[in-house]
Amino acid sequence: MPLDDDAVAEIYREHGPMLRRVVWRATSDANRVEDIVQEVILRVWKQAPEAENLRAYLITTARHLIVDQYRAAGRRPQQAQLVEVAEQDSALDRALDQVLVEEALGRLQANHREIVRCLYYERLTVAETSVRVGVPEGTVKSRAYYAVRNLRVILDEMGVTR
Amino acid sequence: MNPGSDDLHVLLGAYVLGGLSDEDHRAYSEHLRTCAQCQTELGQVSGLPRLLDLAGPAGGPHLADGPAAVPLPLMTEPDDARVTSLLGQVARRRRRRRTWLSGLAAAAAAVFFAGGAWLGPKLTEATTPTPPTTHVAAAAVPGSAVRVDIALVTRGWGTQLDIDCEDMPKTGALALWVIDGKGHATTAASWRATATGYSKVTGATALRPNEIQSLEVRTETGKVLASAKT
Repeated sequence: MPLDDDAVAEIYREHGPMLRRVVWRATSDANRVEDIVQEVILRVWKQAPEAENLRAYLITTARHLIVDQYRAAGRRPQQAQLVEVAEQDSALDRALDQVLVEEALGRLQANHREIVRCLYYERLTVAETSVRVGVPEGTVKSRAYYAVRNLRVILDEMGVTR
Repeated sequence: MNPGSDDLHVLLGAYVLGGLSDEDHRAYSEHLRTCAQCQTELGQVSGLPRLLDLAGPAGGPHLADGPAAVPLPLMTEPDDARVTSLLGQVARRRRRRRTWLSGLAAAAAAVFFAGGAWLGPKLTEATTPTPPTTHVAAAAVPGSAVRVDIALVTRGWGTQLDIDCEDMPKTGALALWVIDGKGHATTAASWRATATGYSKVTGATALRPNEIQSLEVRTETGKVLASAKT
């Protein structure tokens, strides 16, 4: 299949910035970010340019690539115990999940994000949040409802299904 | 639909995130028992606190303009000291006892519901949440995919057991058994399976937390689905 530059460029334009943030924060290696992002986009384009959920596909591919490179970098000798590899992978998975959750929060509508911050991270009550944000308690409750629903949808789209 | 059930339905959000008044919390818990739609929706979003706790301090860079955040260290493996410190920080910030679902989330950053993940019973001893609560994740037995998390709340009369189950059998009856140091088992809670495979129930035992040797979730035929030792 010949490479369709336009199609690749479009994926890159649309998803590149998000992928770069995710890869950079997961690997902390600025030199490799661009390589990984491009490799991810090329692979996905070759394998499934019409994938229904392209973002999830890209992120999953990036996850695999990062894990593969991490292993190839040889943090452990060849005869590493399987369990150690598994532990590293799960730490890496969690680091990736952290980045993805933060990314998802960033995609949430600002007034929904504010409610998540107040209720969840600051442990305010609905009444306290109502005063802080300056909206009726009923609005806090309905925003909390939509915040939770939307966050779930965003995370599903990113392939975070837990 | 009951009158006003639309109003109740929307409480799902604050039920999951925390912050409901006691009155609303009671009303929603009651509503949840009979509203299949809310049960389904809760099943879809009940994992969010665990995910939110993965985000960096106070939700990460996108939420960073808030007041000083409590760092939530990224856990690489169960580590009692770090968990204790984490729980302590959460407890200090907590104005009052939160709903169990959101309260659990702090511990869940380390525990996840992971099959086999296990935290010792003394996690909260060094801090002073009242009443003292210990969360345990029961390990699914081989061949079983259930996810069970149990909060042991010390009460004057014994131990309250707040049970949160996911991916459970969808038919039949289920029960939580507590086993004391002499191997004597008693039922502390029993409930009917739900269509969503998700249940959140509360049981009670006269045993004190330190007298509970192990906990088991069993089917009505006595098959053990998950167990945890203390």
